[in-house]
Amino acid sequence: MRREIPFIITLVVGLVFLLAPLTAGNIPLVGQPFSFITATYFSPWTTIVAAFATGLASVNLLRIHANSISRKRAGWYNSVALVFALAFFFVYRTAVELLPANKALAAGYANYFNNILSPLSAAMFAVLAFYIASASYRAFRARSLEATVLLVAAVLVMIGAAPIGAEIWDQFPVIQRWLLAVPNMVGQRSIIIGAAIGGFATSLRILLGLERGHLGGE
Amino acid sequence: MNKLLNVDRRIIYVILVIALAFPLIRPLGIPLLVNDSTTAVHAIIEGLDPATDVVLLSFDYGPSSAGDIHPQATAIVNHLTKRGIKWVGVAFWADGPMMADLLIADLEAQGGKYGTDFVNLGFMTGGENAIRSFAVDALVIPTDIRGNKTADLPVMQGIKDMNDFGFVFEFASGTPGYEAFIRQAVDPMGVKFAAGVVTVSVTGAMPFYNSGQLKGLLQGLRGAAEYELLIGIPGDGAAAMDASSLGHLVIVGFILVGNFAYFFSKKKK
Repeated sequence: MRREIPFIITLVVGLVFLLAPLTAGNIPLVGQPFSFITATYFSPWTTIVAAFATGLASVNLLRIHANSISRKRAGWYNSVALVFALAFFFVYRTAVELLPANKALAAGYANYFNNILSPLSAAMFAVLAFYIASASYRAFRARSLEATVLLVAAVLVMIGAAPIGAEIWDQFPVIQRWLLAVPNMVGQRSIIIGAAIGGFATSLRILLGLERGHLGGE
Repeated sequence: MNKLLNVDRRIIYVILVIALAFPLIRPLGIPLLVNDSTTAVHAIIEGLDPATDVVLLSFDYGPSSAGDIHPQATAIVNHLTKRGIKWVGVAFWADGPMMADLLIADLEAQGGKYGTDFVNLGFMTGGENAIRSFAVDALVIPTDIRGNKTADLPVMQGIKDMNDFGFVFEFASGTPGYEAFIRQAVDPMGVKFAAGVVTVSVTGAMPFYNSGQLKGLLQGLRGAAEYELLIGIPGDGAAAMDASSLGHLVIVGFILVGNFAYFFSKKKK
């Protein structure tokens, strides 16, 4: 039964979601359409499950890093920083949520967020610019015909996207927009439609019980 | 030629820092052309009726992508404020409410009334499912970020689902993002929707703009700068455009020099 019950739940929920946008009439004996069932019951449930998943992930993260600290593994002090930050923001934010009328508490939280977390996150993202610059010099080479096409397209899109591109040659933005609107769109749509068909096929396999990875099997 | 091929990466970093810092200290004033996808967003907001229309803004970004997205949010909120249009903020990213609060603090300092002119409903967990839940029942979030009952807020009066908003705009930096809105609200419910995305997501968003599922699109920091130009309120986007231009030029220069060195070293061999 450990396999059959999760499979039946998957099948029933999957069919309800599949039928919800395809049917409009009421379900016999239930007296409500499938769309009502998904909106009223399943969507809130998935939100609750997602909330639990976030909690589970936090506990798992805490367990792994507490283990790393207790065994003094290489870089254990980074784990101390992570556990401290996790606990600090968890306790502080919980207090803010429980005491919404306390404006000083909320302002203090915003202060930590805006003046510690924001600059650190922005700095991490900004560092990417240096890696891109270095990679563009070392790795972006016209080694083959395909690589050359990619390189030329990338250079044209970059110049066309920057305001200075139009100052150098007024056709750069025109070429950039064409590259985005035609070849890019064709490629992106192919990928999106291909992935959607692949997703549908995988979903069908799960619904029919051919794919059982989520049940813990092979 | 070998020296050019194996240039110290620190030299590359220094050149990039100079290229980015110089225009921030001494702006060059490079003119900016406005994309039609930006004009489309501006036209939608211009067409809204301040007496009846309420806009939904979904703050789905955090500090890491704020450099690209926050100037967009500032420009859109400035436009809504300028036109006297009420807005509701929601977030399907955990950091989103904090980003919205930065804008709300400025608006309150200027005399805007929280709860009447704008509100921050906070974060709703669940990703794409949460978007669907909110789309079919806008009161599914029981209280706003300050603990006020959502159903009692003046700005929420008459709003039951996402279709009751005159316009929905998402500041998107990843998943869940504009594609989830399109799947859960735009296609099944016919919600009027546009998005602002990080620069790297522009290529992915273009097919949805061209198909009309996105009624408008702000393209990264440049989109913010273009919007600031359209509403006549310069901000962080316009200020960073010269640096962006020189940064792009330097990277293109690196690609060309790197390839030049590669070909000549190959010829020698």
